[in-house]
Amino acid sequence: MHIVDGALSNPVVIAGAALTIGGLAQGLRKLPMEKIPVAGVLSATFFVASLIHVPVGPSSVHLIMNGLAGLVLGWAAFPALFVGLLLQAVFFGFGGLTVLGVNTLLIAGPSVLVGLLIRPRVQGAAPRPAAIWAAIAGGLAIALTTVFVALALAITGDEFLPAAKLVFFAHAPVMFVEAMLTGAAVYLAKQVKPELFDDFQGALQ
Amino acid sequence: MIRPAILALSLAIAPLPALAHKLIMGIFPSGNQIEGELGFSSGDAPEGQLIEVFDKAGDKLGETVTDADGFFLFTPSEPVSHRFRADMGAGHVAERVMLAEEVAPIVAKSNGSAAATISWTDKPVAAAQPETSASAPAVTATTPQVVPQVVVAALNQAELDAIAKAVRDETRPLRQEIAAYKEKNDLQTILGGIGYIVGLFGFGFYIAARRKLKDAA
Repeated sequence: MHIVDGALSNPVVIAGAALTIGGLAQGLRKLPMEKIPVAGVLSATFFVASLIHVPVGPSSVHLIMNGLAGLVLGWAAFPALFVGLLLQAVFFGFGGLTVLGVNTLLIAGPSVLVGLLIRPRVQGAAPRPAAIWAAIAGGLAIALTTVFVALALAITGDEFLPAAKLVFFAHAPVMFVEAMLTGAAVYLAKQVKPELFDDFQGALQ
Repeated sequence: MIRPAILALSLAIAPLPALAHKLIMGIFPSGNQIEGELGFSSGDAPEGQLIEVFDKAGDKLGETVTDADGFFLFTPSEPVSHRFRADMGAGHVAERVMLAEEVAPIVAKSNGSAAATISWTDKPVAAAQPETSASAPAVTATTPQVVPQVVVAALNQAELDAIAKAVRDETRPLRQEIAAYKEKNDLQTILGGIGYIVGLFGFGFYIAARRKLKDAA
């Protein structure tokens, strides 16, 4: 979900940019050296996943994969997703440079929330329960993103409930697909590379 | 057992790549009107979409709606810059500006003031010039050259408009194709983006590693 230039009022754009700068600073502090390559891989995952579009109604939606980024990176999802969004705005004209702050907040915010909430449960769990938690995280991240998007539009002037409903239901298939993909990815990672979810010197506290 | 099932399921549901869903708008002069086109980059056109027109200061000049193919027409009455805006809700907004310099001739046309008939005459090409040059004289000498003797006499305004309209209609698919092409995400761009990501994070890694080495030293 990318909001384009000109769709939001100035206060929303400025507030989004300010919060994103805060999030970026916090994310970079919580990005230990050992996690930088993983952050890069998840940034690339997000960058490519957003190019896969599903037509829904008058519009279309695409995969986001911010749940997985949050589970693996926690706060560090902020810089990772920011880089992906920046390149999408520059290369493909998704969103735009002025609304980059808002878009980062809308996508990385839920990512961090999901990371804070569900990451501890995935860390210690066996592969199967971890996969189920991950599926919940994947779906929840998208759901939160749609709510955030509706909020941003509502502050600008759209009615909140209709906008929220529209965005939420348009993303229902994405939620499902992302839940499945995140679950499968975490199940695999838990079996092959369980250390992926370990904490490196306070990556998430 | 469960894992392959889940993976297969998610791959089956995972959608095939489709085009982006950006709302795009194009505007161009069309006689004494401004013609525009609104559409999703997927090729779908929103019918009956309200297009609002504002001047530079943000005052509303008027509005129009799109037809079934996403086209809309607006007749400007003042030679000021026109900003066309379509808001489809849920963050789908498209804007285009036509500057005052471009609007002025359109307004002038509808007022009829500057509509002096533009006319021209093409002299018929001197057809039967004997080809004495060395290049393939045999062929040109035997086949009589048929040069169409089209004399374009002074066209009146109606004829000029008709020609302009025909050209616009003929080039419309071309314009649509160019607009769609601009929205295309090709593999090179995607790979380039991934390259940027690798480079950026590699650079970050380098900085972090340097700091660590410095601390260790």
